[in-house]
Amino acid sequence: MRPNLFDRARVGLSGVVAALCGAVLSGCGGGPYPMDTLSPQSDLTRAFTSLFKEITILDAIVLVVVIAAMIGAIFIYSSREGDPGEPSAMHSDVTLEMLWTVIPALILVAITVPTVNTIIKTQPDKWPANALEVRVIAHQWWWEFRYPSSGVDTADEVHIPEGQVIHFSMVSDDVIHSFFMPAIGGKRDVVPGQVNQITLTADKPGEYYGQCTEYCGTSHANMRFRLFVDTPEQFKQWTAHQLDGPVRPAGGDAAAGAKEWANAPCAICHTIKGVSGFSKQYAFGFRGPDLTHFGSRTTFAGSIMDNTPANVAMWIENPDKVKPGAHMPTLGVQGQQLTDLVAYLESLK
Amino acid sequence: MAAQPKPLHLEQASYLEGGGIYGWLTTIDHKRIAVMYGVTALLLMGLGGIEAMLIRAQLIVPDNHFLTADFYNQIFTMHGLTMIFLVVMPLETGFFGNFLIPLQIGARDVAFPRVNALSFWIFLLGAMVLNFGWIWGGLPNGGWFGYANLSEVYYSPGLNIDYYDVGLLILGVSSVMSALNFFVTIVNMRAPGMTFMRMPMFIWALLVTVILLLLAFPALTVGLIFLFADRYFDTHFYRVIAGATPILWQHLFWIFGHPEVYIMALPAFGMISEILPVFSRKPLFGYPMMAYSIILIAFLSYGVWGHHMFATGMGPVADSAFSITSMLIAIPTGVKVFSWIATVWGGRLRFTTAMLFALGFILEFTIGGLSGVMHASAPVDMEQTDSYIIIAHFHYVLFGGVLMAILASFYYWFPKISGRMMNETLGKWHFWLTTIFFNCTFFPMHFLGELGMPRRIYTYAPGMGWDFWNFFESVSAFFLGATFLIFFFNVAYSWFNGERASADPWNARTLEWMTPSPPPVYNFVTVPAVHSRDAFWVEKYGDVEASGLGEKRLNVDYLPPPSAEEIAAIHMPEPSLYPLVMGGAIFLAGVGMLVGWYRLVFGGLGLLAFTAISMSFEYIDWGQDNPHQVGESFLGLDNRKLGIWAFIGSECVFFASLISTYMVYKSRSIGYPDAQILNIPLTSFSTFVLLMSSLLMVLALAGYQRGDRFWGTFWLFGTAFFGCIFLGGQVFEFHDFYARGMLYNSNLFSQCFYTLVGFHGFHVFIGVCWLITMAIAGARGKIGKSRALSVEIAGLYWHFVDIVWVVIFTLIYLMRTIKHA
Repeated sequence: MRPNLFDRARVGLSGVVAALCGAVLSGCGGGPYPMDTLSPQSDLTRAFTSLFKEITILDAIVLVVVIAAMIGAIFIYSSREGDPGEPSAMHSDVTLEMLWTVIPALILVAITVPTVNTIIKTQPDKWPANALEVRVIAHQWWWEFRYPSSGVDTADEVHIPEGQVIHFSMVSDDVIHSFFMPAIGGKRDVVPGQVNQITLTADKPGEYYGQCTEYCGTSHANMRFRLFVDTPEQFKQWTAHQLDGPVRPAGGDAAAGAKEWANAPCAICHTIKGVSGFSKQYAFGFRGPDLTHFGSRTTFAGSIMDNTPANVAMWIENPDKVKPGAHMPTLGVQGQQLTDLVAYLESLK
Repeated sequence: MAAQPKPLHLEQASYLEGGGIYGWLTTIDHKRIAVMYGVTALLLMGLGGIEAMLIRAQLIVPDNHFLTADFYNQIFTMHGLTMIFLVVMPLETGFFGNFLIPLQIGARDVAFPRVNALSFWIFLLGAMVLNFGWIWGGLPNGGWFGYANLSEVYYSPGLNIDYYDVGLLILGVSSVMSALNFFVTIVNMRAPGMTFMRMPMFIWALLVTVILLLLAFPALTVGLIFLFADRYFDTHFYRVIAGATPILWQHLFWIFGHPEVYIMALPAFGMISEILPVFSRKPLFGYPMMAYSIILIAFLSYGVWGHHMFATGMGPVADSAFSITSMLIAIPTGVKVFSWIATVWGGRLRFTTAMLFALGFILEFTIGGLSGVMHASAPVDMEQTDSYIIIAHFHYVLFGGVLMAILASFYYWFPKISGRMMNETLGKWHFWLTTIFFNCTFFPMHFLGELGMPRRIYTYAPGMGWDFWNFFESVSAFFLGATFLIFFFNVAYSWFNGERASADPWNARTLEWMTPSPPPVYNFVTVPAVHSRDAFWVEKYGDVEASGLGEKRLNVDYLPPPSAEEIAAIHMPEPSLYPLVMGGAIFLAGVGMLVGWYRLVFGGLGLLAFTAISMSFEYIDWGQDNPHQVGESFLGLDNRKLGIWAFIGSECVFFASLISTYMVYKSRSIGYPDAQILNIPLTSFSTFVLLMSSLLMVLALAGYQRGDRFWGTFWLFGTAFFGCIFLGGQVFEFHDFYARGMLYNSNLFSQCFYTLVGFHGFHVFIGVCWLITMAIAGARGKIGKSRALSVEIAGLYWHFVDIVWVVIFTLIYLMRTIKHA
């Protein structure tokens, strides 16, 4: 018996186990974080989460069995070098081997059956006629959202009504992205040349976060979006507002900015409906967000910055500094010109 | 060659002695090659570790500006590539595999020692190409998985992706060559009596691993060739605009990529299965089930690649199928975990550092395996894929699992490799600190994943609940990195100053411990016939089930040194400069291609061709200068014949990938040209000629087999001539197509057609060169009845190429009008 080593091993191992258990507990009891995958707010994510919980419980049971078996094997049913007596020579046992083949197989059946059920349930090939279609178009590195039923075209922030079936149909304009909205819809890759779908019903109004989760180039980390679940009335108002023409500023910096806009190259890529734009057209292969109601959004530039005049000015001065690799060039707009332009953009409520 | 390598001195006691630097450069001794792999991989492990530290330094606080976005993307890409291709694989197969396979199966060297050296040099040079960006600028930046179409020139204009593409192509050649070599070695060169069910479990694991390598790597090679064509020849394999889909890359990559996971995991399973019994003083529990489960895991690993693609929208049927197959893998893996625990159960344990790492492996690997079950369920994966929970999962499998097994193996086999013990006190500090900081670094990643943190992001906003855990992980990671300094110091210090090791310091069970530490060049003077598993144990104690506490019947430390006669009876192949020169030529060609200096490409290829031809004349039947086998070949087959069969197996996957791409893309192709352009009467004629050449090949072989030199040589030339007619037909056909406006990059049809038929033509061309070399040797009287086998091997290759053509002719030419959905 070599108590030193034995005790050290035991203390060390139980320390690790205790640390793991503690970490699990503290990790699960997190606050209301915006990207939490375990606070589902739609029928779809609730199906995902309940399956996750089932598997986690089964996993935990297996892990406890393995740890218990290891503790038994290492500390209880084995001897140390130097102990009297012969070690066991057992090296096969058909019953045991059958058991640890069949029992895991049964556990896996218990996981697989609900898995396949959930797959079939969550990937319907048809959806109700009154479902609201939202087209998601991914660009390096921002999200475009179109509502074919109403004609709304917006960016960075998507609004959906609660309690209605929403059908996201998604396609990429360039490379492969992934549309990830943890609380509402999980994720689905957005692939060029292939339309992918997510169908869901959100059940709690609020503001949710989302982000691209397929590596898509330099600013992959800066391709985020917000998802607003509105009450049906709010959504109706929002849609009506989005369909209005742009604000035409009467005076001040904003009015001067409107004149700047007419001369600046912004309109090559950006549309302001009724003012300028090459809507639905591709200029230089890249296209910027529709800015008709830019001022009504809370965030911009792939939803990485709050929509404040200072931030917008910073962005226009040097987009690459804010979002490395950004396809929007530095236009050399400065001083009063910049202030005016920002004021105009912010006035586009 | 001008400079002749120094000859071997077999009377030296250790393989490490003598030869100097030049001796190492020209060595073809599997043990020296292993050490070179080991040193290279350890240095690269340092580099990969530094890359990991940079990643964690960037993520330590939100909105950090320590690294630029682009450099961060390069660093995470290189961290993955380095650890997978340049650290784990070379350490497992290159280092431990190379060193241990011949020693554990009782052979003097691998089946093809020169090919083995060539594999190493190609590996080294591939590693340099992959890391070329450190000096030339622009490391690969598309992730280790390099998803198309981000990897297209339009989205990634720099050389970054080209280093990735060419580097992996070169590493693939090295891996497949090693795999072929080890496959033949294990199947054919085992000591007398070592049947499959008596092999050490590490050998089982490696056998299955190399089969996986042979059958998986060609899929990636095809994907990389398409990528290369897209980037350099403006084709459209992954371009939506031409009707293609970037998802093709994902299929090809993951058909390789999932078996790749087991290429890394299986050797680790084998290592653990060697170490646990020794330090438990018990035989491995459930040996047959352990072997079968390895085979089953490998088999299933080909059917699960889709679980990497659940989010791509494959549809409910594919999602369900891949979920089920992925779940199935958990069953044989569970059998292994429980069998390891049962091996320890009731044993008499010795807590050496190696044993501690092996026990740590079981726990960490189990955690990684269990989180794998979560991702195997497609709906759960909809939340988890590409988030930090995946990073937690595969670091538990690859770091907590595979790397722990590799570290255990270092402590276990170091005495055999270096002749000195590693320091156990430092080792135990290393184990405990690594285990603690490993878990502190990677366990919280589960939480980050559940809090929705995506992978591969260089920055994140505060307030997402990610700040604390990222900070905690980064600090732990720095400590984890520091613990590896203990390990590196221990290796370096012990190599020169460690306590001298006896032949069998651990009282071990397998044959490698019968030889002195370090072993002599020839490994074994005589190898005992193997009568059961754990052959050395039985030799020592008379029974597999013996406790090892009684008197030893054999004490290898006191064996007399071999007599001069015994040494004189040993033949070992002499060192050779060819592998180094050939590796260098491939490197020059690769670099020339990358930097656009095409003279260098032709120079490199020319040197390669010259060396290959010069070598084939020197060793006209390459078996001539190989180590004497200790026993008879196991299958009664020649090594080379077995090798060519394995090679043909690998080639089948290569052509299958090309053909299926053609079949899928033909119907998606847009505009002119289409399959109607194919000239069936002309091609029928060349097909007929090629088929007839196979007949001539049979006649040639028959000629040599009955010792008829004239007719043998005549028909060989005839075969080559018919091959030339076929090639001529192909050149005419391609020329005609070009004249009619069918360019390589015209559309999907043309590029798939040219790639497939062109690669087949290239195979025919190599075959013609081979046949002509053979025929010239035959004409000069170098091929007699005894060497007819060389002709037979060339014939096998030739027939295979013909059969592939029959398939191509049927599917591409004759069935051209059949429309696919």
